[in-house]
Amino acid sequence: MIPTALYYMFAPLLVVLVGVLAERMGSPKLRDGFAVLASAWGVASVWLVFNLVQASPDKILVVTLGGSPPLAACLEIDMMSVYVAFSAALLGFFANVYSYSYMEHDTRLTEYYTLLSALVIGMTGVAFAGDMFTLFIFWEMMGIASYALVSFRKETPGPIEAGFKYMVMGSVGSTILFFGAALLYGMTGTLNFAQMSSVLHGHAASPWFYLVLAILIVGFGVKSAIVPMHTWLPDAHPEAPSTISAMLSGMLIETALYALTRVTYVLFEPQMFSLVVAGLAAVTMCVANITALMQKDIKRMLAYSSIAQIGYMLVGLSTGSVFGVMALLLHVFNHSIMKGLAFLSAGSLVHSADTRNIDELKGIGRAMPITTITLFVALLGLGGVPGTGGYISKLLLFSSAIPVGYMWLAVLGVLNSAFSMGYYLMTMYKLISRPVEGVKGLHEAPMAMLLVTVVMAVLVIWTGVLPATVIEMAEAGAKALVENLGNYVGVIMR
Amino acid sequence: MDAVIWLGSAFALLTIGLFCVTRRNMLRILLGIEIILNSGNMMFVYFASVNPGLGIVDPIGQSIVFMSIVTGGAVVSVGLALIVNAYKQFKTTDASELRRLKW
Repeated sequence: MIPTALYYMFAPLLVVLVGVLAERMGSPKLRDGFAVLASAWGVASVWLVFNLVQASPDKILVVTLGGSPPLAACLEIDMMSVYVAFSAALLGFFANVYSYSYMEHDTRLTEYYTLLSALVIGMTGVAFAGDMFTLFIFWEMMGIASYALVSFRKETPGPIEAGFKYMVMGSVGSTILFFGAALLYGMTGTLNFAQMSSVLHGHAASPWFYLVLAILIVGFGVKSAIVPMHTWLPDAHPEAPSTISAMLSGMLIETALYALTRVTYVLFEPQMFSLVVAGLAAVTMCVANITALMQKDIKRMLAYSSIAQIGYMLVGLSTGSVFGVMALLLHVFNHSIMKGLAFLSAGSLVHSADTRNIDELKGIGRAMPITTITLFVALLGLGGVPGTGGYISKLLLFSSAIPVGYMWLAVLGVLNSAFSMGYYLMTMYKLISRPVEGVKGLHEAPMAMLLVTVVMAVLVIWTGVLPATVIEMAEAGAKALVENLGNYVGVIMR
Repeated sequence: MDAVIWLGSAFALLTIGLFCVTRRNMLRILLGIEIILNSGNMMFVYFASVNPGLGIVDPIGQSIVFMSIVTGGAVVSVGLALIVNAYKQFKTTDASELRRLKW
Protein backbone atom coordinates (compact mmCIF):
# COMPACT_ATOMS: atom_id res chain seq x y z
CA MET A 1 0.00 0.00 0.00
CA ILE A 2 1.67 3.18 -1.21
CA PRO A 3 0.41 6.48 0.27
CA THR A 4 -0.87 8.92 -2.34
CA ALA A 5 1.41 11.66 -1.01
CA LEU A 6 4.37 9.75 -2.42
CA TYR A 7 2.86 9.85 -5.90
CA TYR A 8 2.27 13.59 -5.51
CA MET A 9 5.99 14.00 -4.90
CA PHE A 10 6.69 13.01 -8.51
CA ALA A 11 4.18 15.52 -9.93
CA PRO A 12 6.84 18.14 -10.83
CA LEU A 13 8.09 15.79 -13.57
CA LEU A 14 4.85 16.53 -15.45
CA VAL A 15 6.56 19.74 -16.53
CA VAL A 16 7.98 17.80 -19.46
CA LEU A 17 4.47 17.20 -20.90
CA VAL A 18 3.27 20.72 -20.14
CA GLY A 19 6.47 22.12 -21.63
CA VAL A 20 6.04 20.30 -24.93
CA LEU A 21 2.37 21.34 -25.16
CA ALA A 22 3.13 24.95 -24.23
CA GLU A 23 5.82 25.16 -26.89
CA ARG A 24 3.39 23.80 -29.49
CA MET A 25 0.83 26.39 -28.46
CA GLY A 26 3.44 29.14 -28.63
CA SER A 27 3.12 30.31 -25.03
CA PRO A 28 6.29 29.14 -23.26
CA LYS A 29 5.55 31.26 -20.16
CA LEU A 30 2.81 28.74 -19.37
CA ARG A 31 5.48 26.12 -18.81
CA ASP A 32 7.54 28.39 -16.55
CA GLY A 33 4.46 29.16 -14.49
CA PHE A 34 3.61 25.48 -14.28
CA ALA A 35 7.14 24.68 -13.10
CA VAL A 36 6.76 27.19 -10.25
CA LEU A 37 3.38 25.76 -9.25
CA ALA A 38 4.64 22.18 -9.52
CA SER A 39 7.61 22.87 -7.27
CA ALA A 40 5.30 24.51 -4.71
CA TRP A 41 3.26 21.31 -4.97
CA GLY A 42 6.47 19.38 -4.30
CA VAL A 43 6.94 21.28 -1.02
CA ALA A 44 3.30 20.61 -0.12
CA SER A 45 3.66 16.89 -0.83
CA VAL A 46 6.69 16.66 1.47
CA TRP A 47 4.50 18.34 4.08
CA LEU A 48 1.85 15.65 3.52
CA VAL A 49 4.49 12.95 3.94
CA PHE A 50 5.58 14.67 7.14
CA ASN A 51 2.04 14.42 8.48
CA LEU A 52 1.91 10.73 7.56
CA VAL A 53 5.19 10.14 9.38
CA GLN A 54 3.85 11.93 12.45
CA ALA A 55 0.77 9.71 12.40
CA SER A 56 2.56 6.37 11.96
CA PRO A 57 3.84 4.24 14.90
CA ASP A 58 7.36 5.17 16.14
CA LYS A 59 7.22 8.08 13.68
CA ILE A 60 8.66 5.85 10.93
CA LEU A 61 6.76 5.32 7.70
CA VAL A 62 7.74 2.20 5.76
CA VAL A 63 6.63 1.83 2.16
CA THR A 64 7.56 -1.37 0.36
CA LEU A 65 7.30 -2.06 -3.34
CA GLY A 66 6.82 -5.67 -4.38
CA GLY A 67 6.76 -7.95 -1.36
CA SER A 68 8.41 -7.85 2.05
CA PRO A 69 11.79 -6.20 2.78
CA PRO A 70 14.46 -8.79 2.02
CA LEU A 71 13.19 -9.08 -1.54
CA ALA A 72 11.49 -5.70 -1.97
CA ALA A 73 12.69 -2.19 -2.61
CA CYS A 74 11.60 -0.05 0.31
CA LEU A 75 11.35 3.55 1.42
CA GLU A 76 11.87 4.06 5.13
CA ILE A 77 10.94 7.61 6.04
CA ASP A 78 11.70 8.98 9.49
CA MET A 79 11.93 12.53 10.84
CA MET A 80 15.48 12.98 9.56
CA SER A 81 14.52 11.98 6.00
CA VAL A 82 11.57 14.36 6.03
CA TYR A 83 13.75 17.17 7.35
CA VAL A 84 16.32 16.80 4.55
CA ALA A 85 13.65 16.28 1.89
CA PHE A 86 11.83 19.41 3.04
CA SER A 87 15.02 21.48 2.80
CA ALA A 88 15.57 20.16 -0.73
CA ALA A 89 12.01 20.82 -1.87
CA LEU A 90 12.01 24.33 -0.38
CA LEU A 91 15.26 25.28 -2.10
CA GLY A 92 13.95 23.72 -5.30
CA PHE A 93 10.88 25.96 -5.08
CA PHE A 94 13.03 29.08 -4.64
CA ALA A 95 15.23 28.04 -7.56
CA ASN A 96 12.18 27.54 -9.79
CA VAL A 97 10.71 30.96 -8.96
CA TYR A 98 14.09 32.58 -9.57
CA SER A 99 14.49 30.77 -12.90
CA TYR A 100 11.27 32.40 -14.13
CA SER A 101 13.17 35.64 -14.78
CA TYR A 102 16.75 34.44 -14.70
CA MET A 103 16.53 31.90 -17.52
CA GLU A 104 14.39 34.12 -19.79
CA HIS A 105 17.09 34.52 -22.44
CA ASP A 106 18.04 30.84 -22.60
CA THR A 107 16.61 28.26 -24.95
CA ARG A 108 15.72 24.59 -24.29
CA LEU A 109 13.88 25.54 -21.11
CA THR A 110 11.61 22.48 -21.13
CA GLU A 111 14.70 20.33 -20.66
CA TYR A 112 15.95 22.72 -18.00
CA TYR A 113 12.82 22.56 -15.87
CA THR A 114 12.51 18.79 -16.29
CA LEU A 115 16.09 18.24 -15.18
CA LEU A 116 15.63 20.63 -12.26
CA SER A 117 12.56 18.67 -11.13
CA ALA A 118 14.47 15.40 -11.55
CA LEU A 119 17.28 16.83 -9.41
CA VAL A 120 14.90 17.77 -6.59
CA ILE A 121 13.05 14.43 -6.78
CA GLY A 122 16.37 12.58 -6.78
CA MET A 123 17.40 14.35 -3.58
CA THR A 124 14.05 13.62 -1.96
CA GLY A 125 14.38 9.98 -2.97
CA VAL A 126 17.88 9.71 -1.51
CA ALA A 127 16.52 11.12 1.73
CA PHE A 128 13.62 8.64 1.80
CA ALA A 129 15.53 5.51 0.71
CA GLY A 130 15.38 2.52 3.04
CA ASP A 131 17.78 0.26 1.18
CA MET A 132 20.91 0.47 -0.92
CA PHE A 133 18.99 -0.38 -4.11
CA THR A 134 16.58 2.57 -3.83
CA LEU A 135 19.35 4.86 -2.64
CA PHE A 136 21.54 3.99 -5.63
CA ILE A 137 18.79 4.58 -8.19
CA PHE A 138 17.80 7.98 -6.79
CA TRP A 139 21.48 8.79 -6.33
CA GLU A 140 22.09 8.23 -10.06
CA MET A 141 18.94 10.19 -10.93
CA MET A 142 20.24 13.14 -8.93
CA GLY A 143 23.71 12.73 -10.40
CA ILE A 144 22.71 12.47 -14.06
CA ALA A 145 20.37 15.46 -13.80
CA SER A 146 23.12 17.53 -12.21
CA TYR A 147 25.77 16.55 -14.81
CA ALA A 148 23.45 17.72 -17.56
CA LEU A 149 22.50 20.92 -15.71
CA VAL A 150 26.08 21.98 -14.96
CA SER A 151 26.90 21.94 -18.67
CA PHE A 152 23.52 23.38 -19.65
CA ARG A 153 24.96 26.46 -21.40
CA LYS A 154 26.88 24.31 -23.86
CA GLU A 155 27.63 27.14 -26.29
CA THR A 156 30.70 28.19 -24.25
CA PRO A 157 33.70 26.01 -23.41
CA GLY A 158 33.65 26.58 -19.62
CA PRO A 159 30.47 24.68 -18.72
CA ILE A 160 31.42 21.75 -20.98
CA GLU A 161 34.79 21.37 -19.34
CA ALA A 162 33.37 21.73 -15.83
CA GLY A 163 30.55 19.35 -16.66
CA PHE A 164 32.90 16.72 -18.05
CA LYS A 165 35.14 16.91 -15.00
CA TYR A 166 32.13 16.68 -12.70
CA MET A 167 30.67 13.80 -14.72
CA VAL A 168 33.88 11.79 -14.54
CA MET A 169 34.50 12.38 -10.83
CA GLY A 170 30.85 12.01 -9.86
CA SER A 171 30.30 8.78 -11.73
CA VAL A 172 33.58 7.25 -10.57
CA GLY A 173 32.39 8.07 -7.06
CA SER A 174 29.00 6.48 -7.56
CA THR A 175 30.41 3.38 -9.27
CA ILE A 176 32.84 2.93 -6.39
CA LEU A 177 29.85 3.32 -4.09
CA PHE A 178 28.14 0.59 -6.07
CA PHE A 179 31.19 -1.63 -5.58
CA GLY A 180 30.96 -0.95 -1.85
CA ALA A 181 27.28 -1.85 -1.90
CA ALA A 182 28.20 -5.14 -3.57
CA LEU A 183 30.69 -5.88 -0.79
CA LEU A 184 28.09 -5.03 1.85
CA TYR A 185 25.63 -7.31 0.08
CA GLY A 186 28.20 -10.09 0.12
CA MET A 187 28.82 -9.60 3.84
CA THR A 188 25.18 -9.47 4.91
CA GLY A 189 23.14 -11.11 2.16
CA THR A 190 20.69 -8.22 1.98
CA LEU A 191 20.53 -4.62 0.80
CA ASN A 192 18.06 -3.30 3.34
CA PHE A 193 19.67 -0.85 5.79
CA ALA A 194 17.84 -2.22 8.82
CA GLN A 195 18.66 -5.85 8.05
CA MET A 196 22.28 -5.03 7.21
CA SER A 197 22.49 -3.15 10.50
CA SER A 198 21.21 -6.07 12.55
CA VAL A 199 23.68 -8.46 10.86
CA LEU A 200 26.68 -6.14 11.13
CA HIS A 201 26.09 -5.05 14.73
CA GLY A 202 26.28 -8.68 15.88
CA HIS A 203 29.78 -9.22 14.48
CA ALA A 204 33.23 -8.19 15.61
CA ALA A 205 34.89 -5.74 13.25
CA SER A 206 36.94 -7.47 10.54
CA PRO A 207 39.22 -5.86 7.93
CA TRP A 208 36.32 -6.05 5.46
CA PHE A 209 34.38 -3.62 7.70
CA TYR A 210 37.11 -1.03 7.35
CA LEU A 211 37.43 -1.60 3.60
CA VAL A 212 33.67 -1.06 3.14
CA LEU A 213 33.73 1.99 5.41
CA ALA A 214 36.58 3.50 3.41
CA ILE A 215 34.76 2.79 0.13
CA LEU A 216 31.58 4.39 1.46
CA ILE A 217 33.42 7.50 2.67
CA VAL A 218 35.11 7.85 -0.73
CA GLY A 219 31.93 7.11 -2.70
CA PHE A 220 29.73 9.55 -0.81
CA GLY A 221 32.65 11.92 -0.23
CA VAL A 222 33.10 12.66 -3.93
CA LYS A 223 29.59 14.13 -4.22
CA SER A 224 29.78 15.88 -0.87
CA ALA A 225 33.19 17.39 -1.78
CA ILE A 226 35.24 16.25 1.22
CA VAL A 227 38.71 17.60 0.61
CA PRO A 228 40.82 15.09 -1.26
CA MET A 229 37.78 14.47 -3.53
CA HIS A 230 36.63 18.09 -3.91
CA THR A 231 38.30 19.22 -7.12
CA TRP A 232 35.17 19.05 -9.30
CA LEU A 233 33.23 21.49 -7.13
CA PRO A 234 35.11 24.78 -7.64
CA ASP A 235 34.83 24.25 -11.41
CA ALA A 236 31.26 23.01 -11.62
CA HIS A 237 29.59 25.57 -9.35
CA PRO A 238 30.77 28.79 -11.02
CA GLU A 239 30.19 27.52 -14.56
CA ALA A 240 26.63 26.29 -13.94
CA PRO A 241 23.67 28.70 -14.19
CA SER A 242 23.27 30.44 -10.81
CA THR A 243 20.08 28.59 -9.89
CA ILE A 244 21.91 25.31 -10.41
CA SER A 245 24.89 26.52 -8.38
CA ALA A 246 22.43 27.28 -5.61
CA MET A 247 20.87 23.83 -5.86
CA LEU A 248 24.23 22.03 -6.01
CA SER A 249 25.87 24.04 -3.29
CA GLY A 250 22.81 24.45 -1.13
CA MET A 251 21.45 20.94 -1.22
CA LEU A 252 23.21 18.35 -3.43
CA ILE A 253 26.40 18.16 -1.38
CA GLU A 254 24.31 18.10 1.82
CA THR A 255 22.17 15.28 0.46
CA ALA A 256 25.37 13.34 -0.13
CA LEU A 257 26.44 14.14 3.42
CA TYR A 258 23.03 13.02 4.68
CA ALA A 259 23.45 9.70 2.87
CA LEU A 260 26.92 9.27 4.39
CA THR A 261 25.55 10.06 7.86
CA ARG A 262 22.62 7.70 7.48
CA VAL A 263 24.64 4.77 6.16
CA THR A 264 27.58 5.10 8.56
CA TYR A 265 25.39 5.54 11.64
CA VAL A 266 23.02 2.73 10.77
CA LEU A 267 25.66 0.21 9.74
CA PHE A 268 28.67 0.94 11.95
CA GLU A 269 29.46 2.00 15.50
CA PRO A 270 30.30 5.73 15.64
CA GLN A 271 33.70 5.13 17.28
CA MET A 272 34.85 3.20 14.17
CA PHE A 273 34.81 6.28 11.95
CA SER A 274 34.82 9.15 14.44
CA LEU A 275 38.51 10.02 14.35
CA VAL A 276 38.82 9.62 10.57
CA VAL A 277 35.87 11.93 9.98
CA ALA A 278 37.24 14.44 12.49
CA GLY A 279 40.54 14.47 10.60
CA LEU A 280 38.73 14.92 7.26
CA ALA A 281 36.71 17.77 8.78
CA ALA A 282 39.87 19.58 9.91
CA VAL A 283 41.59 19.15 6.53
CA THR A 284 38.46 20.12 4.60
CA MET A 285 37.82 23.39 6.39
CA CYS A 286 41.44 24.52 6.47
CA VAL A 287 42.19 23.81 2.80
CA ALA A 288 38.91 25.27 1.55
CA ASN A 289 39.14 28.47 3.59
CA ILE A 290 42.73 29.19 2.60
CA THR A 291 41.97 28.58 -1.09
CA ALA A 292 38.81 30.69 -0.94
CA LEU A 293 40.84 33.68 0.18
CA MET A 294 42.78 33.62 -3.11
CA GLN A 295 39.78 33.70 -5.46
CA LYS A 296 38.99 36.57 -7.79
CA ASP A 297 35.78 35.02 -9.11
CA ILE A 298 32.81 35.68 -6.79
CA LYS A 299 31.01 32.39 -7.53
CA ARG A 300 34.25 30.44 -7.21
CA MET A 301 34.83 32.04 -3.82
CA LEU A 302 31.34 30.95 -2.76
CA ALA A 303 32.04 27.43 -4.08
CA TYR A 304 35.13 27.12 -1.89
CA SER A 305 33.13 28.48 1.00
CA SER A 306 30.68 25.58 0.47
CA ILE A 307 33.52 23.09 0.86
CA ALA A 308 34.48 24.82 4.12
CA GLN A 309 30.88 24.52 5.34
CA ILE A 310 30.97 20.79 4.55
CA GLY A 311 34.02 20.66 6.82
CA TYR A 312 32.01 22.27 9.64
CA MET A 313 29.18 19.79 9.11
CA LEU A 314 31.61 16.86 9.28
CA VAL A 315 32.42 18.02 12.83
CA GLY A 316 28.84 17.15 13.74
CA LEU A 317 29.10 13.79 11.96
CA SER A 318 32.30 12.89 13.81
CA THR A 319 30.83 13.34 17.31
CA GLY A 320 28.46 10.37 17.19
CA SER A 321 26.04 12.06 19.60
CA VAL A 322 22.47 13.34 19.23
CA PHE A 323 23.77 16.85 19.86
CA GLY A 324 26.28 16.65 17.02
CA VAL A 325 23.85 15.22 14.49
CA MET A 326 21.24 17.79 15.53
CA ALA A 327 23.74 20.57 14.88
CA LEU A 328 24.63 18.97 11.53
CA LEU A 329 20.98 18.86 10.46
CA LEU A 330 20.42 22.42 11.62
CA HIS A 331 23.39 23.55 9.56
CA VAL A 332 22.12 21.59 6.55
CA PHE A 333 18.90 23.64 6.59
CA ASN A 334 20.56 26.96 7.40
CA HIS A 335 23.29 26.42 4.84
CA SER A 336 20.78 25.47 2.16
CA ILE A 337 19.03 28.80 2.68
CA MET A 338 22.18 30.90 3.17
CA LYS A 339 24.26 29.46 0.35
CA GLY A 340 21.22 29.30 -1.91
CA LEU A 341 20.64 32.98 -1.21
CA ALA A 342 24.33 33.83 -1.69
CA PHE A 343 24.44 32.14 -5.09
CA LEU A 344 21.10 33.56 -6.21
CA SER A 345 21.88 37.16 -5.27
CA ALA A 346 25.43 36.86 -6.61
CA GLY A 347 23.74 35.44 -9.69
CA SER A 348 21.62 38.59 -10.00
CA LEU A 349 24.76 40.75 -9.83
CA VAL A 350 26.59 38.58 -12.36
CA HIS A 351 23.51 38.49 -14.60
CA SER A 352 23.38 42.31 -14.72
CA ALA A 353 27.08 43.09 -14.91
CA ASP A 354 28.02 40.08 -17.09
CA THR A 355 31.25 39.40 -15.21
CA ARG A 356 32.16 37.19 -12.27
CA ASN A 357 35.37 39.00 -11.35
CA ILE A 358 34.99 40.72 -7.97
CA ASP A 359 37.22 43.61 -9.05
CA GLU A 360 34.99 44.31 -12.05
CA LEU A 361 31.90 44.21 -9.80
CA LYS A 362 33.28 46.96 -7.54
CA GLY A 363 30.63 49.41 -6.41
CA ILE A 364 27.74 47.47 -7.88
CA GLY A 365 26.04 47.77 -4.48
CA ARG A 366 25.22 51.39 -5.24
CA ALA A 367 23.39 50.43 -8.44
CA MET A 368 21.60 47.36 -7.08
CA PRO A 369 21.15 48.06 -3.36
CA ILE A 370 18.48 45.50 -2.43
CA THR A 371 20.21 42.52 -4.09
CA THR A 372 23.51 43.53 -2.51
CA ILE A 373 21.94 43.80 0.95
CA THR A 374 20.51 40.28 0.60
CA LEU A 375 23.96 39.06 -0.47
CA PHE A 376 25.41 40.72 2.65
CA VAL A 377 22.87 38.94 4.84
CA ALA A 378 23.89 35.63 3.26
CA LEU A 379 27.62 36.30 3.64
CA LEU A 380 27.25 37.40 7.26
CA GLY A 381 25.21 34.28 7.91
CA LEU A 382 27.88 32.08 6.32
CA GLY A 383 30.51 33.78 8.45
CA GLY A 384 28.44 33.11 11.58
CA VAL A 385 27.48 36.60 12.74
CA PRO A 386 24.96 36.60 15.65
CA GLY A 387 21.42 37.29 14.51
CA THR A 388 21.60 34.98 11.53
CA GLY A 389 20.87 31.25 11.27
CA GLY A 390 24.52 30.52 10.60
CA TYR A 391 25.54 31.71 14.06
CA ILE A 392 23.19 29.31 15.86
CA SER A 393 24.16 26.25 13.87
CA LYS A 394 27.90 26.95 13.97
CA LEU A 395 27.75 27.56 17.70
CA LEU A 396 26.01 24.21 18.21
CA LEU A 397 28.33 22.39 15.78
CA PHE A 398 31.54 23.51 17.44
CA SER A 399 30.23 23.07 20.97
CA SER A 400 29.10 19.53 20.09
CA ALA A 401 32.76 18.59 19.51
CA ILE A 402 33.79 19.47 23.08
CA PRO A 403 31.87 16.80 25.11
CA VAL A 404 33.35 13.98 23.02
CA GLY A 405 36.90 15.20 23.57
CA TYR A 406 37.62 16.92 20.25
CA MET A 407 38.57 20.24 21.85
CA TRP A 408 41.16 20.81 19.11
CA LEU A 409 38.48 20.44 16.45
CA ALA A 410 36.22 23.01 18.12
CA VAL A 411 39.08 25.50 18.41
CA LEU A 412 40.09 24.87 14.79
CA GLY A 413 36.49 25.37 13.69
CA VAL A 414 36.15 28.70 15.47
CA LEU A 415 39.49 29.88 14.07
CA ASN A 416 38.45 28.84 10.57
CA SER A 417 35.13 30.59 10.97
CA ALA A 418 36.88 33.80 11.99
CA PHE A 419 39.34 33.40 9.12
CA SER A 420 36.51 32.97 6.64
CA MET A 421 35.09 36.37 7.68
CA GLY A 422 38.22 37.79 6.04
CA TYR A 423 37.13 37.01 2.50
CA TYR A 424 33.45 37.66 3.16
CA LEU A 425 34.19 41.16 4.49
CA MET A 426 36.65 41.82 1.66
CA THR A 427 33.95 40.95 -0.88
CA MET A 428 31.39 43.13 0.91
CA TYR A 429 33.81 46.04 1.03
CA LYS A 430 34.54 45.77 -2.68
CA LEU A 431 30.88 45.59 -3.61
CA ILE A 432 30.08 48.93 -1.96
CA SER A 433 33.32 50.83 -2.69
CA ARG A 434 33.69 53.44 -5.45
CA PRO A 435 31.95 52.16 -8.62
CA VAL A 436 34.04 51.11 -11.63
CA GLU A 437 33.04 52.03 -15.16
CA GLY A 438 31.28 48.76 -16.06
CA VAL A 439 28.67 48.86 -13.31
CA LYS A 440 27.41 52.41 -13.76
CA GLY A 441 23.87 52.65 -15.09
CA LEU A 442 22.85 49.15 -14.00
CA HIS A 443 19.36 48.64 -12.61
CA GLU A 444 17.90 46.47 -9.86
CA ALA A 445 17.19 42.82 -10.73
CA PRO A 446 13.73 41.83 -12.11
CA MET A 447 10.84 41.43 -9.68
CA ALA A 448 10.76 37.61 -9.41
CA MET A 449 14.49 37.40 -8.68
CA LEU A 450 14.32 40.23 -6.16
CA LEU A 451 11.35 38.67 -4.39
CA VAL A 452 13.11 35.31 -3.94
CA THR A 453 16.28 36.86 -2.55
CA VAL A 454 14.37 39.10 -0.13
CA VAL A 455 12.23 36.20 1.15
CA MET A 456 15.33 34.06 1.64
CA ALA A 457 17.14 36.88 3.45
CA VAL A 458 14.17 37.18 5.80
CA LEU A 459 14.36 33.41 6.38
CA VAL A 460 18.07 33.64 7.24
CA ILE A 461 17.38 36.30 9.85
CA TRP A 462 14.27 34.51 11.07
CA THR A 463 16.19 31.27 11.72
CA GLY A 464 18.75 33.36 13.60
CA VAL A 465 16.35 35.28 15.82
CA LEU A 466 13.67 32.64 16.41
CA PRO A 467 15.45 29.32 15.86
CA ALA A 468 13.22 27.23 18.17
CA THR A 469 11.08 25.58 15.48
CA VAL A 470 13.98 24.54 13.27
CA ILE A 471 16.01 23.31 16.25
CA GLU A 472 13.06 21.24 17.40
CA MET A 473 12.73 19.61 13.97
CA ALA A 474 16.47 19.00 13.72
CA GLU A 475 16.49 17.45 17.19
CA ALA A 476 13.62 15.12 16.26
CA GLY A 477 15.64 14.09 13.18
CA ALA A 478 18.83 13.51 15.15
CA LYS A 479 17.00 11.46 17.79
CA ALA A 480 15.43 9.34 15.06
CA LEU A 481 18.91 8.54 13.75
CA VAL A 482 21.02 8.10 16.88
CA GLU A 483 18.84 7.24 19.89
CA ASN A 484 16.00 5.44 18.15
CA LEU A 485 18.18 3.34 15.87
CA GLY A 486 16.57 0.29 17.49
CA ASN A 487 13.18 1.42 16.20
CA TYR A 488 14.55 2.07 12.73
CA VAL A 489 15.84 -1.50 12.61
CA GLY A 490 12.89 -2.95 14.50
CA VAL A 491 10.22 -1.63 12.15
CA ILE A 492 11.66 -3.74 9.33
CA MET A 493 12.67 -6.82 11.34
CA ARG A 494 9.31 -7.13 13.09
CA MET B 1 37.91 -21.33 -4.30
CA ASP B 2 35.06 -19.89 -6.34
CA ALA B 3 35.00 -16.86 -4.08
CA VAL B 4 38.69 -16.19 -4.64
CA ILE B 5 38.31 -16.34 -8.41
CA TRP B 6 35.22 -14.14 -8.55
CA LEU B 7 36.37 -11.59 -5.97
CA GLY B 8 39.85 -11.58 -7.46
CA SER B 9 38.55 -10.82 -10.93
CA ALA B 10 36.18 -8.17 -9.59
CA PHE B 11 39.04 -6.39 -7.81
CA ALA B 12 41.17 -6.78 -10.93
CA LEU B 13 38.43 -5.15 -13.01
CA LEU B 14 38.20 -2.33 -10.43
CA THR B 15 41.93 -1.72 -10.76
CA ILE B 16 41.79 -1.79 -14.56
CA GLY B 17 38.87 0.64 -14.50
CA LEU B 18 40.60 3.05 -12.14
CA PHE B 19 43.70 2.85 -14.34
CA CYS B 20 41.61 3.65 -17.44
CA VAL B 21 40.06 6.68 -15.72
CA THR B 22 43.48 8.26 -15.26
CA ARG B 23 44.22 8.13 -19.03
CA ARG B 24 44.01 11.16 -21.32
CA ASN B 25 41.53 10.05 -23.95
CA MET B 26 37.96 11.03 -22.98
CA LEU B 27 36.43 7.90 -24.47
CA ARG B 28 38.86 5.74 -22.56
CA ILE B 29 37.88 7.55 -19.34
CA LEU B 30 34.23 6.78 -20.05
CA LEU B 31 35.08 3.11 -20.70
CA GLY B 32 36.97 3.05 -17.41
CA ILE B 33 33.83 4.17 -15.59
CA GLU B 34 31.87 1.37 -17.24
CA ILE B 35 34.51 -1.17 -16.24
CA ILE B 36 34.32 -0.10 -12.59
CA LEU B 37 30.53 -0.39 -12.74
CA ASN B 38 30.85 -3.86 -14.22
CA SER B 39 33.18 -4.99 -11.46
CA GLY B 40 30.36 -4.12 -9.03
CA ASN B 41 27.86 -5.93 -11.24
CA MET B 42 30.03 -9.02 -11.26
CA MET B 43 30.25 -9.06 -7.46
CA PHE B 44 26.48 -8.72 -7.21
CA VAL B 45 25.90 -11.61 -9.61
CA TYR B 46 28.32 -13.82 -7.68
CA PHE B 47 26.95 -12.94 -4.23
CA ALA B 48 23.37 -13.40 -5.43
CA SER B 49 24.19 -16.96 -6.43
CA VAL B 50 25.71 -17.92 -3.05
CA ASN B 51 23.27 -16.12 -0.72
CA PRO B 52 22.83 -18.76 2.00
CA GLY B 53 19.58 -17.52 3.53
CA LEU B 54 17.32 -18.32 0.61
CA GLY B 55 18.37 -21.52 -1.11
CA ILE B 56 17.65 -19.94 -4.48
CA VAL B 57 19.48 -17.32 -6.54
CA ASP B 58 18.63 -14.07 -4.78
CA PRO B 59 16.39 -11.98 -7.06
CA ILE B 60 17.29 -8.63 -5.44
CA GLY B 61 20.97 -9.14 -6.26
CA GLN B 62 20.12 -9.77 -9.89
CA SER B 63 17.59 -6.97 -10.20
CA ILE B 64 20.05 -4.36 -8.91
CA VAL B 65 22.43 -5.51 -11.66
CA PHE B 66 19.77 -4.82 -14.29
CA MET B 67 19.04 -1.42 -12.77
CA SER B 68 22.72 -0.54 -12.61
CA ILE B 69 23.15 -1.49 -16.28
CA VAL B 70 20.30 0.91 -17.09
CA THR B 71 21.66 3.78 -15.00
CA GLY B 72 25.14 3.06 -16.36
CA GLY B 73 23.72 3.45 -19.86
CA ALA B 74 22.21 6.79 -18.88
CA VAL B 75 25.51 8.01 -17.44
CA VAL B 76 27.35 6.94 -20.60
CA SER B 77 24.86 8.73 -22.84
CA VAL B 78 25.29 11.96 -20.86
CA GLY B 79 29.05 11.43 -20.97
CA LEU B 80 29.06 10.87 -24.74
CA ALA B 81 26.96 13.99 -25.25
CA LEU B 82 29.50 15.94 -23.20
CA ILE B 83 32.36 14.48 -25.24
CA VAL B 84 30.66 15.45 -28.53
CA ASN B 85 30.20 18.99 -27.23
CA ALA B 86 33.77 19.10 -25.93
CA TYR B 87 34.99 18.01 -29.35
CA LYS B 88 32.98 20.83 -30.96
CA GLN B 89 34.50 23.37 -28.55
CA PHE B 90 38.09 22.16 -28.28
CA LYS B 91 38.54 20.07 -31.49
CA THR B 92 40.11 17.25 -29.49
CA THR B 93 39.16 14.31 -27.27
CA ASP B 94 42.29 14.67 -25.17
CA ALA B 95 41.19 15.42 -21.60
CA SER B 96 44.53 17.04 -20.74
CA GLU B 97 43.76 19.82 -23.26
CA LEU B 98 40.87 20.92 -21.04
CA ARG B 99 42.94 23.04 -18.72
CA ARG B 100 41.19 26.38 -18.78
CA LEU B 101 39.78 25.92 -15.27
CA LYS B 102 42.49 25.59 -12.68
CA TRP B 103 42.43 27.03 -9.16
